[in-house]
Amino acid sequence: MTVDPNAATQSFPPRPPAPGGPSAARYLVPALVAAAVALALGVYGKVHDPEGTAFNLAGFSSTGAVKSWLATAAFGFALVQVVSAAMVYGKLPGPSWSGTLHRWSGRIAFLTAVPVAVHCLYAFGYQTYDSRVMWHSLLGCFFFGAFSAKMLLLRWERLPGWLLPVVGGLVFSVLTIVWLTSALWFFRTFGVTT
Amino acid sequence: MKRTGPLFTLLAGLLLALFMLSLNATTGTEPASTSQADTPADKVSPSPAPTKAPATPTPSPSPSPTKVPVPNADYAGRTDDDSAAVSVSLRNGRAIAYFCDGRDKESWLKGDVEDDGSMKLTGKGGSVLNGTLKGKGIRGTVDIEGGHYAFTADKAVKPSGLYRATATVRNAEIDGGWIVLSTGDQVGILNRNGKPSPAPRIDPETGAVTIDGELLTARPVTP
Repeated sequence: MTVDPNAATQSFPPRPPAPGGPSAARYLVPALVAAAVALALGVYGKVHDPEGTAFNLAGFSSTGAVKSWLATAAFGFALVQVVSAAMVYGKLPGPSWSGTLHRWSGRIAFLTAVPVAVHCLYAFGYQTYDSRVMWHSLLGCFFFGAFSAKMLLLRWERLPGWLLPVVGGLVFSVLTIVWLTSALWFFRTFGVTT
Repeated sequence: MKRTGPLFTLLAGLLLALFMLSLNATTGTEPASTSQADTPADKVSPSPAPTKAPATPTPSPSPSPTKVPVPNADYAGRTDDDSAAVSVSLRNGRAIAYFCDGRDKESWLKGDVEDDGSMKLTGKGGSVLNGTLKGKGIRGTVDIEGGHYAFTADKAVKPSGLYRATATVRNAEIDGGWIVLSTGDQVGILNRNGKPSPAPRIDPETGAVTIDGELLTARPVTP
């Protein structure tokens, strides 16, 4: 967290370093962005009048099925995330491209989760009428905040070694609960249908 | 402060979210029919809906110069004396309502909704519901079996609303009606061969309910 003596001669990408020194900003900005994202999603879910429905994908019996399968796909890629992260950190033997695997499985997981979240917030909103729904709403918003923080933290080169694994683990754990309280519940209630 | 990949990831997610949202907003209510394929009553004719549909978060009760039909929506609430619940479902100028005290008094009422939001719905046994839609709620009265009940029903958002399940279980004709209130409370009556009794709870999200050992599905009711 001391200032890099080479910093002045280094050629930075167009974005200049944050004013006020990077040390505080590198933790504060991700934390604030995370809080803002989670809060914004929650407030939108609460304020927006839920529409009840949204468009559906052809070939599926219901939006619930579409979302459950997308969420399950995202969860599957999240599992790949954990394994590939362990490879990157040398905890598991892995190929040289495990870093690339980690990046791209993460992107795919995120991008499959986004439509699900959009549907949740648009059609149902933030609800608290039973504990499953309450935790799903709360942690669903929290997940996207935590994920934003993780992405922003990644941009910094020198972080304490434990930070990324902890934040990444948090993101994974939250996604797991969000999946358990929605897709798994859906499959158990309606059966594994398309 | 070098890597820009994560930023692009976030940006892509944001763009995707905005894209989906705009798709949802522009397609309006029409696809409601596709997502609820198993309730043909929901396949609303596109005539009155699109004028109201695209996200107007404040359904102002002001009468606009053009003739605005009563919006399609569900309402649920309690009677003033708290002894019974009332739910009304409006679709394309028609209404179906359910009055239910959760024990033995119930009635399904049907009728038309006038453009000014007033309605007179009638049910079996001479029961009558008079109500007026104002803003986000319906205020009115129900006359049933000699009783007179005033009620207020606020706009109900899924899963609150009006549900019904009919089936034959072990040679008994089952007819159950439920009102799920915004608080999560449920008021329902189950008729076995016409004999009313308190109804078991339904899962408000799926409509699943177990009656005499058989798993049934209560479906949202629309006119």
